Parts: sequence; C-alpha cells; structure tokens
Amino acid sequence: MSEQPVDVLIVGAGAAGAAFAWSLAETRMNIVCLEQGGWMNPEEYPTAGVDWEMRRLGDFGMSPNTRGRKEDYPINDSESPIQISNFNAVGGSTILYAAHFPRFHPGDFKTRTLDGVGEDWPVDYATLAPYYDVNARMMGVAGLAGDPANPDHDFPLPPVPLGKVGEKLAKGFNKLGWHWWPSDSAIATREYEGRAPCINLGPCIMGCAQGAKGSSDVTYWPAAVRGGVEVRTHCRVREVTLGSNGLADGVIYYDIDGVERKQKAEIVVIACNGIGTPRLLLNSVSKQFPDGLANRSGLVGKNLMFHPYAMVNGEFDEPIEGYKGPTGCCLMSQEFYETDLSRGFVRGYTIETLRGNGPVSTALAGLGDIPWGADHHREFGSRFDRSAGMVVICEDLPEEHNSVTIDPDLVDSNGIPSPKINYRLSDNSRKMLDHSVARGTEILEAAGATGVKFQAPLLPAGWHLMGTARMGTDPTKSVVNEWGRSHDVKNLFIIDGSIFVTAAAVNPTNTIQALTLYIADTIKKNLTNLFD
Amino acid sequence: MSEAAEPSPFTPEQQHALRCVLDQIIPASSDGQMPGAGELGLVDYIEAAASKQDGLAPTIAQGLAEADRIAAGRGAARLSDLVEAERPEVLREVASAQPGFLPSLIFHTYVGYYQHPKIVLALGMETHPPFPKGFPMEQSDLALLDAVRRRPKMYREV
Repeated sequence: MSEQPVDVLIVGAGAAGAAFAWSLAETRMNIVCLEQGGWMNPEEYPTAGVDWEMRRLGDFGMSPNTRGRKEDYPINDSESPIQISNFNAVGGSTILYAAHFPRFHPGDFKTRTLDGVGEDWPVDYATLAPYYDVNARMMGVAGLAGDPANPDHDFPLPPVPLGKVGEKLAKGFNKLGWHWWPSDSAIATREYEGRAPCINLGPCIMGCAQGAKGSSDVTYWPAAVRGGVEVRTHCRVREVTLGSNGLADGVIYYDIDGVERKQKAEIVVIACNGIGTPRLLLNSVSKQFPDGLANRSGLVGKNLMFHPYAMVNGEFDEPIEGYKGPTGCCLMSQEFYETDLSRGFVRGYTIETLRGNGPVSTALAGLGDIPWGADHHREFGSRFDRSAGMVVICEDLPEEHNSVTIDPDLVDSNGIPSPKINYRLSDNSRKMLDHSVARGTEILEAAGATGVKFQAPLLPAGWHLMGTARMGTDPTKSVVNEWGRSHDVKNLFIIDGSIFVTAAAVNPTNTIQALTLYIADTIKKNLTNLFD
Repeated sequence: MSEAAEPSPFTPEQQHALRCVLDQIIPASSDGQMPGAGELGLVDYIEAAASKQDGLAPTIAQGLAEADRIAAGRGAARLSDLVEAERPEVLREVASAQPGFLPSLIFHTYVGYYQHPKIVLALGMETHPPFPKGFPMEQSDLALLDAVRRRPKMYREV
C-alpha cells in the first residue's frame, strides 16, 4: 500500500464514487479510492440460501445500528421519525437498493421559480440529460419510452415484467384514469454487457446474487479498475487534512488492521452520502475551519432531506405471485407529482408499487394481524401470495433545522465521532403523506384489494440522504459550486446526494450519478486551471 | 469423527411442554394440509434459536413453568393433560403473567414454521433458495398502457 501522493483521492466507493472514478480514469491520472467496506461476494447474498428471508433482520438489514456488520458505523437517529439506512461496501447503498431509477423532472431543478419553495439548482435538466443517457448505458437501465409524465428518452433494455401484481394494479390505475408507467429500473432484463439477465429472484434489496441488478460494483467499478483506478477497501477515513496553502492535501484514515495512515492527494473528492459527507467535513476541524472543513457558509450538515415514505398494502382474493419479480420495481405513478395547491400542499410524490413477500416475511409482517391459534391458518392464507401494495415517495423540502451534527458521545469502532440526525417532519410532508395514503387506498380498492392498511411515515425509510452540502453559486448559501467544487477549498469536490439543492420526488441515484458525470466532465475540461 | 450435538437448553419435560405450546401457536389446519408447529418438529428449531439468543431459553422455561402451574390449578398435572379447548386459555393467562414469553416464542415459531420444507411445499413453492433457479415471468400486455399513452404531457417545462 503506497503512501505516495496521488493525483485524485476519492473517499467512498458507492454510486457517485464509482461513476466519478470511471469518468476520470481516461485521464490516466493516479487515482485512488478509499472505501470503508469491502467487495461483496454475490455467492453470499441471502437469495442463495434457504434462510434468505431472515437475513433481512440480520446482516442484510436496513439499519447500520442493528445490522452488526463490522463496516457499519453507528448513527444516532433516535430522535428522528425516519431512521437511516445505508450500506458500506464497494457499491455502497446500491448493494441494497431496489434499483428504481427514474430521472428528475425539469421542474425539479427550479422549485423556487415554479413554486416559491426551496432554491433553484445551478444546473438544469437540459445540462444533465446527456449524462443521464451515459448513466443509463453504464448501469443498464430497463424501461419504456413514451411516458407522458417525463421528457422522452430511450432505454437500453426493455422494462421489467409487470407480473400478476402489476397487471392488477395497472387495471386499478386505469379504472381511476390515473397515470402509471412501467418503472425505470437499473436491472438487466436481458443479458447486458457481460451481466446475466434478471431471473426475478424477488428481494433485490438484499443484494442481487444473479448480478442483474445495476449496483456500481458490477457496472462502473470493473471498468474503472481496468482503467487503472485503485480501490483500497476497509479503509475508513477520519478526516481531510489541509496544507499550508489552504488547499486539501489528503486524508488520514485507518486501514483494515486499524493502523492510522495518511494519503496525500492533489485533489480530494468526497462521495460519502448525505450523512457520511457532512460527518467527514464536520470532523475535519482546523484553525482555518474551526466549524468543519469547507463550512464557512455554516451549511455543512444543514438542509438534510429524506423522502418521507408511506406504505399502503391490501389483500387480493386470489394468488398474485408477488414473490416473483424485482420487489421494488414494477410500475410507478406520477399522477400527483407536479404541484397542485388545491391538494393542500406544495410539490408532490411518486407512487411505486411493490410486489409481495415470501412466507416468512408475510407471517412476520402480520405479527398482531396474523394471530396465533385457531384463526392462524385462515389469516395467513388470506395474506400470503395475496398481499401487495405500494410505497409513496414524497418530496421533502430543505429546512435548515433538519441537519446532521456530530454526536457528543457516540463513536465508531475506530473512535471517530458519529453523526446525529436532527429531523422533524414538516406540515407539508404530513399533508402529502395523508393525501398519498388516501390515493393509495383508492388505487388498491379499484384494483380489487380489501383490508387496506398503511404506515406513514415509514420508519426505516431513511435511504435517500440529500442536501447537507448543497450546491449553488452563492458561497453564503451553498457549500459547493455548480460543478461540485467547494467554495472554500478549491481542490475539494463533493459528488454525492449531499450536494442536492432540492429532493424531487423520485429515487436519487440516477441523478446523483448523472450529476457526478457532469462534475467529472467539468473537472476534465478545466484541469489546467482547476484551482482558480 | 461426528461432532457432539449441542445439549438442549430444555429438559425432556420442558421439551414436551414446548411441543404442546407450539401446537397451540400454530395448530394443525382443519383440512389436515398443514401440521401443527409442534407436530412439525419445531422444538428443535426453538432449541437452536434459544442456544443463540441470550435470555430466550430462561424466558421460555419460565413461561412453560407458568403454563404447567396454571394447568395444575385447573386440575391437570400439566398443560398437555388439559383438554384441547382449555389450552389456548391457559396460554393467554401466561401471556398476562409473563409478557415476554409469547411474543418471543411466536416470532421464532413463525420463522421456523414458514422456512420448513414441508410447509414451503404445502404453500405451493419450491424448497430451494430463489437463486440460481429464479422464477420465469412473461412480459405483460402493455396494451394496458393505451389510455396513458394518449394523455398530453404532464410535466412542467422550465
């Protein structure tokens, strides 16, 4: 392991780190990525074993606080109505994500102009459109052109099958005259770029043993490594250090044996997600930055945005084979996406239908509802292979009091102070959730379901982490500029969801990666005067 | 050389009582298609779970003791000597006296039962893990989209 200075040091090997590494590889610069997790072995993913459903409660669970993986660091989210879900590995949270892969709408970049809330982004849809296209090819996005709810674009792969669940729900939407469309999915529905096609295992959210799901460890990273990028795994960065010239000069990290090491670099790129990035910056304290690196605006950690989720489920009177097919990718609806103030709230939401559960998950989800004793088999039978529903992704607005700070007491296994989540749900989000539950109920009943139940907000749904180092042209109102460069430290870049200005009402990974590719391209075009 | 089996955390009497309790948690179905959880042999599964989870074995043992004590108050030597109809009532009394007993046992019973190959087959599924066989699925009739395709543009331009 060399500690010679490198040209580019990337911290974090998730969605953004991978796309950036791939893009920069063509420069033949000396590029190293430090990742606190390791490479995943698909043979160890849950769907390769008979106990696959139970692994969701263990090492493939959603919360780093209960999962028990050595790569996890604790996060104090005890006072938040939404708990954090992340994953530390080469591939980051794409290892666990459902691969739902929509784009932002053009209006999502202009919420202040259109709706008087949030701030406008310093980039727009037209700028990112070609990068969305590149990302679609690299990640292998399946979908269907012609959606009236989105600017038209092509897909390299055909859409995921709707299955019986999707067909039932589609008929419900059609009965109501509401929009629906097959989900944009980063899932190889055919053999693609050497990856095997999806075989409808079901729980994409526990890793894809088939390799069909587009996680960045099987898409961007192999190409980046072939291009000469070095990935060092199980290396946890404690802080970014500053040189005497006021530029970042590298990082201090702990290697796999817990030995403290330094890596010098000409350019430092942070890709640690909307929680990990502010944590790293706030832990990187110096005389020049007593409030955390690159934080002269005071905005590092602030404007934390999730997507408050609702989940609405119902029961059908016949088997619907919900255990087949990508669990989170089926069809989506943006009927209530664009602002309509008559609904009582501003901005909107996306509905994403869910397929059903396996038998163990059905039984456990019904704890309390599926009684023990004489009625057990009847109640289980009414639910197993007969339950399906949807989640609703509500747009969260940026509010400064929603923030990531450093917990005064909690530390990780290397002694690095852990983050604390300070978050409360806004009135606007509550109204949106209420509206979405009512509409979700209508859809399920139109599709023939009964016994509709809901949860809102969904507690473990803190998997979209945004806003905590936001981009902008005004250094007093943003942390990085329009191409991800810190206003305060000219060789420091941030490329993950923390730079989002607003959240939109769709899964962020596609936009994180498109933005990253745009930033990488801009860096490449400005290499000769990068620090001006 | 074969490995010695792990000793059970329960005595033979407790194993007997546990089997009876499991058959109350998930009884045999009225059509005979689905066995009771005790009849299925889930005592072994519960023993394995109790060996791995701190506190589970004593919680179960205390609950079983309470069940037998309540049964004795009804004139039976133990729970399994009561008539079938009285056994769920006894379990509900145990749940009031020892709130931790039933939830823990129900959780592990449900998990063990619905992973058991006999039950998986009875539910019409195959007993192998999802991977590598997967599930074939046909592409759907996208004519269902015809009405949506006819809609005008729904997103706002800027």
